[in-house]
Amino acid sequence: MSNPLNIAGVKFLKALAKHSDVIMQAYLSGRVNELDYDSVVLEKLIGLGILWRPEPSEDLRLRSSIRGLLETNLRDERNRQLDANIGSKLAAIKTITSHYKEALHNQSYSESEVYMEDLTEQVYGLVDNLKSNVRNLWRRIHNEFGYVGSINAKIRENELAQSQLTEMRQQLEMFQFDDLATIAGNSRELRRLLVVHLQRCYSEISQELSIAQSKLIDLLGKFREYLHRSQLLKGFVLHSQQKPDFKIKNYPELGKVPALFNQAEAILKPANIDVNNVEHEQLFGELVSHLKQVRHSTGNTEQRRTQNFNVSDIEHIDIENDAIKQAVELYFCQVIDSGEQLSALEFHQQQQLELDQEVWIYGVINGFQGLTLDEQDFFEIDNLGHPHPLFSGNYIIEDVALGLR
Amino acid sequence: MISTKGQVLEALLSGRFICQTSDEMAFVFLQNSTNFAEVEQHLNLMNRTIAATADNQVYYCAYQVIGDNERKAMGQQFREVSTSLLPLVEWLVLVQEAKGDNSPLSQGKVIRLNELQSVIEDTPAFTEQLAKIARYHLFNSSSTAIDAQLKLIFKRLTDLGYLQKPNPDNQIYLATGKVDYLFEVIRFIDDSENLQLVEHTEEAIKQGDLL
Repeated sequence: MSNPLNIAGVKFLKALAKHSDVIMQAYLSGRVNELDYDSVVLEKLIGLGILWRPEPSEDLRLRSSIRGLLETNLRDERNRQLDANIGSKLAAIKTITSHYKEALHNQSYSESEVYMEDLTEQVYGLVDNLKSNVRNLWRRIHNEFGYVGSINAKIRENELAQSQLTEMRQQLEMFQFDDLATIAGNSRELRRLLVVHLQRCYSEISQELSIAQSKLIDLLGKFREYLHRSQLLKGFVLHSQQKPDFKIKNYPELGKVPALFNQAEAILKPANIDVNNVEHEQLFGELVSHLKQVRHSTGNTEQRRTQNFNVSDIEHIDIENDAIKQAVELYFCQVIDSGEQLSALEFHQQQQLELDQEVWIYGVINGFQGLTLDEQDFFEIDNLGHPHPLFSGNYIIEDVALGLR
Repeated sequence: MISTKGQVLEALLSGRFICQTSDEMAFVFLQNSTNFAEVEQHLNLMNRTIAATADNQVYYCAYQVIGDNERKAMGQQFREVSTSLLPLVEWLVLVQEAKGDNSPLSQGKVIRLNELQSVIEDTPAFTEQLAKIARYHLFNSSSTAIDAQLKLIFKRLTDLGYLQKPNPDNQIYLATGKVDYLFEVIRFIDDSENLQLVEHTEEAIKQGDLL
């Protein structure tokens, strides 16, 4: 492996691998920041033809061949170039074929083998180039030119792709197979390469291209539709801002109703329940259990509402009407009048009150507690009763005695 | 179980719009000309017929013969459409701008509520726009929280049939064919009243560029 070409190639690839960070920065940002890297490294990369300086005052940039290599391998969307120069490649193929035939004629077989290898490389390279161009087109179609934002930009991208496609089809017309067949002559090897292989690829690619073209036209229509729609929307908003009193004509009242506004009323309403259908029994059961909850919650809110009203009503209720209140007042007055201590139950018996005794005692205690502190000072209240037999600390009141202090 | 034909009839008679997104089975059913004719026959009994938008992507129910009663019902529906048109259009513009891909909503497009919400929250102009839309009578929101406003708007639009929520657990919505119907209505109004909406927008954009 002392071939100098081999050594140089390996050295070049090693340099690529070793300085991949510089190369990728140049690829992604478009230029190299010279302060970030060692100047020796950059000089070396310039020397290898990886980086170059377009103008003396400009930053370093990546060589287009390296950029192309990366774009193809990374399937980068930014790659929008199609190299469709088929004419010159075909010319090269024809030239090498002549060399090959001359070598065969001179019976220098080793030389002819080298030419054959070169020719195969050229043909496959041409086909690969065409196919990758088609792939590139499809990639852009598939993501609907997602790499640009606005619809207008998408339309422009689409137009670019269409022009590239047309260019490619024109270039494909340069394949003249009768010409190629004549050049190949009766050599089996040449016929296989120049006629069979190329023809198959040609038909494949032209088919792909016509599908791509129709797809592009579809997409263009779609983009135009989007554009039209968004303009309609914005126009409508603009219009209603400029003319706020704008009223849409009442179309259904016109003599002939536009088909668009002929929209029938919804006439199907939910059907009724058939309680006699045994099959539906379980479902109805579930529904009813669900219904209860609903009724419960609506009832609650109703109650809350009426209670709200009651709160304000209560303030106006005349308390004088209350029988207990009246009796309690009478009891207090009697104590004041007589000036003697009188138990609540005694008063109850005296007056033959119809109230329950317990309610009455509660009423009296309430009445006393309801007085202001100044008023309470005039009276003395005594709880008559006994402690609870079982639970200490509980006192059972049987009667209260009220007297003046 | 009722047949597909029954379901299609029910959907049409309940005033629903049938498109591929809202009800794919019914849509495919109606695309078959025999099925279409059968449904049409049933509807004709009730003075109704199947109507479709221009591109045959959305089917709905229309009157066959228009008398006074039908005219009244249509007038009612038309009033609803015309009063809700501006809020809907403003909402469509907001969604389009917030999504940032410049393509207006159409049938089958996906709206992720969470994404939309974060964009709107980050952009004061969108927040204002949303608050304005939410206050329209159509949505009638009194909330000042972006979250509540958006949820209310989306719920209301789902009820009205403009959106569809395929999975109740996810806040992901699909636009239905009724949105496309809305576009046809706007286009029709533009044409018939000669508003030249598109030309005005282009002019406005040009003027904006000059400034």
